[in-house]
Amino acid sequence: MIYYIYDGSFEGLLTSIYDSYYLKQTPCDISAKPNSQISLFDENIYIKTNTEKFEKVYNSIRQKISSEALNNVYNVYLSNYEFKGILIFNYLKLGWKTGYTIDNYISNESVLNVQRISRRVQKEYHLFLGIVRFKRMEGDFYYASIEPDNNITELLAPHFSTRLSDQRWVIHDIKRGIAAVYNLKKWYMLDLKLKPDFILQSNENDFQFLWKKYFKSIAIKSRINPKLQRRFMPKRYWSHLTEKS
Amino acid sequence: MDFETKLEILSAAAKYDVSCSSSGSARKNIPGGFGSSYKSGICHSWSEDGRCISLLKVLFSNHCIYNCAYCVNRSSNDLPRASFTPDEVAQLTSEFYRRNYIEGLFLSSGVVKNPDYTMELLLKTVKKLREEHKFNGYIHLKAIPGADFKLIYQAGTYVDRMSVNIELPSNKSLQLLAPQKTKESIIKPMNYISAVKTAKNDENRVFKKKQIFVPAGQSTQLIVGATPDNDLGILRLSENLYKRFQLKRVYYSAYVPVSSHPNLPAIGTPPLLREHRLYQADWLLRFYGFSSDELLDDSRPDFDLDLEPKSCWALRNLHLFPIEVNTADYDMLLRIPGIGVRSAKTIVTARRSQKLGYEDLKKIGVVMKRAKYFISCKGKYYGSLNENIIKYDLMSQSRKNLLQSSQYQQISLFDKGDYNDLLHL
Repeated sequence: MIYYIYDGSFEGLLTSIYDSYYLKQTPCDISAKPNSQISLFDENIYIKTNTEKFEKVYNSIRQKISSEALNNVYNVYLSNYEFKGILIFNYLKLGWKTGYTIDNYISNESVLNVQRISRRVQKEYHLFLGIVRFKRMEGDFYYASIEPDNNITELLAPHFSTRLSDQRWVIHDIKRGIAAVYNLKKWYMLDLKLKPDFILQSNENDFQFLWKKYFKSIAIKSRINPKLQRRFMPKRYWSHLTEKS
Repeated sequence: MDFETKLEILSAAAKYDVSCSSSGSARKNIPGGFGSSYKSGICHSWSEDGRCISLLKVLFSNHCIYNCAYCVNRSSNDLPRASFTPDEVAQLTSEFYRRNYIEGLFLSSGVVKNPDYTMELLLKTVKKLREEHKFNGYIHLKAIPGADFKLIYQAGTYVDRMSVNIELPSNKSLQLLAPQKTKESIIKPMNYISAVKTAKNDENRVFKKKQIFVPAGQSTQLIVGATPDNDLGILRLSENLYKRFQLKRVYYSAYVPVSSHPNLPAIGTPPLLREHRLYQADWLLRFYGFSSDELLDDSRPDFDLDLEPKSCWALRNLHLFPIEVNTADYDMLLRIPGIGVRSAKTIVTARRSQKLGYEDLKKIGVVMKRAKYFISCKGKYYGSLNENIIKYDLMSQSRKNLLQSSQYQQISLFDKGDYNDLLHL
């Protein structure tokens, strides 16, 4: 049994698909972590990320399958699904056979799973367009901490860089230790492992207070329905919501 | 009065306006400004009643010269009154928006002094937001019935959506509960906004410089359960509003008892299920190609609370079923209970590459619990075409319990066990 280990980047993942194709190997998993339960007859192969190979696979997906498929693959790559590497491998393998009709084959397990997971990532992304909460910090910038299930920070950044283009902001995924930073000109990703010790701007608490007041008074008492509220806004996200913490 | 009390009063006073959407506009940010609209809208939070919070929904003032019996802000109601200033609203909207609490502003108002005076205040506020604060987020503004059309026109060039609430679905109800208003006074501004928008669209097709006027269109709201109006009347009204005024949304608001006027019904809880049925029917009108006459008629003017409108329609038209999902056209697929817009679209594309079976449909999200009675896949039928059996099976558990427990004892022969064997013959 062959296990592929890549560096966790999208480039690395597509490089491993390139390698498997030309080595005519079918790995039983492609993951970013070495397999710990390896037995005597198993083999870990470490994939060396190669930009050229990456680009070849990338363009091939777009041209020979579809840009929709490329989108799906990228969303699945950002997801927290444990076996995403091998899922993408199987999906693409079928894709190169079927061409642009790949997403019609819903009775195929890989196609169905890719679509399901891709949709899940998109759904969470859309939810977070709404529930990211910025706090104004000393030093004239806005800071938001998030803990999404999937790695969606880089999807969120373009939206906020056009919308809030006249304020500096940071969106910090504290679960993954990464952050999107916007400096009034452009946004970029960086590693941010530590919990930063920013200080709230002096009147920040006033606006948080007003928002909480508003949140409370807008609810109609005779229609209270916490179950419905949780269905739209699951409890695991609440700790970062100003109105819920 | 301090600002937080004001906000508390004026947001609590606005909460019975159920309009929440922030969709339909694609306004872009401008250099040096902030804010943008998102075509499909964004919900930012959900309040304790489970309704989404997308816009900062406040009244400019809850002073009102009118005394409409159903309204919490009626002039005879003894409650604390407050008014914002245009600066306060603009400032608060900006600060909330910069923290991503909201998608924009929903501004309504009681009628202070007279309609023109009120409309001027609203106009001043949105102008300030757009021009001084350079705010490009979503704005939903109420048009005050009776205000000068010039003011409504100007406001329309600044905001994304405008609305006039009809509230009471018939003239008779209006006379009963809001004798100071007439149907004409409400319909006139809606008609005007719709006419200007159509004219602008025509001009924009010809001229290079595009003019923006209420890009996200109009909406309105109807109160359900405060008057004896039936569902058919309400649904016909909505259908006409969609057709004649190109309304984007009609909202339905289950009447929440806010006063004890002799002309109002004495109800304990708001008729939420009825409201839900109306929303379901509204969706059928807008996205599923149904007309109000198909869903209800004079012999059956109200929705069945036991079953959703689409299933009811299907049960009345059992002769059309079962439908073969692998060959039926898109319009017919949409009419099958348990199949929505997304699954209908998926079916149409997926069946180009393979024949779809029962399991496939389940996987793409068709609600087979409902759909199985109305479809066949690859010629195979999994249900039973018996109206009573289907009806019982489609009911929600809580309705079934109700059916079994109380006044409906006589038809308890539809107990699960009695016919379950029938189903699996």
